[in-house]
Amino acid sequence: MDVLMPQMGETVAEGTLTVWHKSVGDTVSSSDILFEIGTDKVEMEVPALADGVVKEICVEAGETVLVGTKLAVIEEEGIKESIEETYVENQIIDTKKSTDIIAQTNISKRDRIDRSMKLSPVVRKLLAENNLTHNDIKGTGRNGRLKRSDVLSYLEDNKSNKQYLPDTSSRVAEFNDKTIIPFNHRRKMTAEHMVRSKATSPHVLQAVEIDFSKVEKARYQLGPDWKKREGYSLTYLPFIARALCSAIKDFPKLNGHIEEEKLVVFDRVNLAVAIDLDFEGLVAPIIKDADLKGVTEIARAINELAIRARAEKLTADDYLNATYTVSNNGSFGTLITAPIINQPQVAILSTDGVSKRATVIEKDGEDLIAIRPIGILAQSFDHRAIDGSYSGAFMRRLKEILETRNWAEIVS
Amino acid sequence: MAELTYREAVAEAIAQEMRRDDSVVFLGEDIAKAGGVFKSTVGLWEEFGDLRVRDTPISEQAILGAAMGAAMTGLKPIAEIMFSDFLAVCWDIVCNQIAKSRYMTGGQVDMPLVIRTANGGGARFGAQHSQSVENWAMMIPGIKVVAPSSPADVKGLLAAAIRDPDPVIFFEQKSLYATKGMVPDGEHVDEIGKAKVLRNGDDVTILALALMVPRALEAAERLQLEKGISATVVDIRSLVPLDTKTILSEVIKTGRVVTVEENPRLCGWGAEISSIIAEECFYDLDMPIVRITTPHIPLASADELEDLMIPSVSRIFDTISREVD
Repeated sequence: MDVLMPQMGETVAEGTLTVWHKSVGDTVSSSDILFEIGTDKVEMEVPALADGVVKEICVEAGETVLVGTKLAVIEEEGIKESIEETYVENQIIDTKKSTDIIAQTNISKRDRIDRSMKLSPVVRKLLAENNLTHNDIKGTGRNGRLKRSDVLSYLEDNKSNKQYLPDTSSRVAEFNDKTIIPFNHRRKMTAEHMVRSKATSPHVLQAVEIDFSKVEKARYQLGPDWKKREGYSLTYLPFIARALCSAIKDFPKLNGHIEEEKLVVFDRVNLAVAIDLDFEGLVAPIIKDADLKGVTEIARAINELAIRARAEKLTADDYLNATYTVSNNGSFGTLITAPIINQPQVAILSTDGVSKRATVIEKDGEDLIAIRPIGILAQSFDHRAIDGSYSGAFMRRLKEILETRNWAEIVS
Repeated sequence: MAELTYREAVAEAIAQEMRRDDSVVFLGEDIAKAGGVFKSTVGLWEEFGDLRVRDTPISEQAILGAAMGAAMTGLKPIAEIMFSDFLAVCWDIVCNQIAKSRYMTGGQVDMPLVIRTANGGGARFGAQHSQSVENWAMMIPGIKVVAPSSPADVKGLLAAAIRDPDPVIFFEQKSLYATKGMVPDGEHVDEIGKAKVLRNGDDVTILALALMVPRALEAAERLQLEKGISATVVDIRSLVPLDTKTILSEVIKTGRVVTVEENPRLCGWGAEISSIIAEECFYDLDMPIVRITTPHIPLASADELEDLMIPSVSRIFDTISREVD
């Protein structure tokens, strides 16, 4: 059976094979994890799906290939004909070509290998040592083969480029002890996405101060029962997400994608929620159709996503068509965070810490100092798509919903 | 330094050692009065006389049996086997007796003997007198195997072989006897088990032995001029002991290795070296190992056929041009 690069969600065209769990010659059963793949959206483990022996591995770990590319061949138990056929074919080729079978076998085998696609042992070693992939460097050998000298001159060039950067190496060297942490696949993906987003979108940050009294009241009344029933705390986030979806109905341009010189606005809100993986990375899976869900459903959806994210069980569909993103930093008590837009979306909201503060309120025509739970919501938006007034009006609407709705009644 | 031929260097080395050590004796077919069928021992009988330089009957077994007995009883014999092909009738005495005596007597018996023999093709001598059999000898535990490529190495390595307390098979390449080179004057003793880097390059490392060394060097010059491929050429010189340190470090420098062997392909010495390279420095290779050898067939005596069979300068040049990318 040929093992192919799977389709992970509808929009994924290619994936990177990150790790092989089996080698040629290993016996596998259908449920064994055969390899791991990563796309720009997801990392996942893929089972063998057949019982048998790994006969061939066609794609090396680290290579990025199109969906449908042959990755490996599993010789299924009881099916041997294919090998015999190949063997017979080789015999015919060899005997035809030569009177010196021993010498000629080598030559004909070599002829059949497209060497431009192969990485030599030393090239693999150099790539691995320097955390590179073969895609990073152009091969100058025959048929574009990547040669040792290509990698060495690439490394040499990069070394000389570094001389133009501020030189911190001498300072590091003084201390002598340092730890080098190569970026893993997820880190690289995040890095690439963040740089691209900052380079693509003119970010504008706007923040509003929210009085969370009504939300706090709901959490106070419903929280203990919720915790008992659901097994986790009722946080501010589902309320903010619910309010966000309501506000977006009035400001639909924020629920969209920028595609070159067009803004694509979506009817439904697929709300991406940034989830931290215990400092080991960040993912932003979606709550699909979040605008159709209430606080309770949103809270459950967020909890379920977090559990699956930490268990590395998210699939590409969990990332599909995110329309708006919320990044929740509040649990760390941050004052304000300027988030980076999740491309190709229009805007992203950061929720920061909520704390009790003395604030001036107006009651019966009088100014009073009151103690209220106050927190800041900050939105970065892409100035190409909308202007500050539109975003500002949206933020005002969001504030109004959060501060005036009777959340305790709505949720119960 | 004096310019000598490869054959003159043989006689000079033997004379050098016979002068300094009375226990060195020399025996073989037509080696004394006739000066050797390849004229490689001219003048020795005249200088050292009947007792120390002896013609023998036409019996390779008798020659080696006598040499072995002489070595066991305190002499340092040099025995000539006229054509290395004839070692085939000698294997019991070489493999089972000479090579094993020190081990089987618990070190009580030394075996300081040298078997000199004319090896290899290129002289139109046909299938039974042209074989390159260094790989036969290489696979016998207990015997050293040396094959020089230049007059200087003949003198230095043959002297070292004679002084060695263990048995050495010394392969002289027939087609090299007439070649000339500068040879150190006076006493010259080299070290067995050291390969020599004769040319430094960046792109590919050519490992060669005996007659293949000058051909590899000429091919390397052509590769540089015509293809811009810069080749290192290593003269292996000694198959046992094998200088893996030099070989592996030269292979690692270029990441590409080509062996040029006169012996037939199957189980040729390059196969053993390839196996060592694959085990020791697989992750430094940038190209599959390439072996250029005589094919696994009996050698023809017809000029044109023999020239096709044994690796030539143009075959080395063509193969490396094609394989190095």
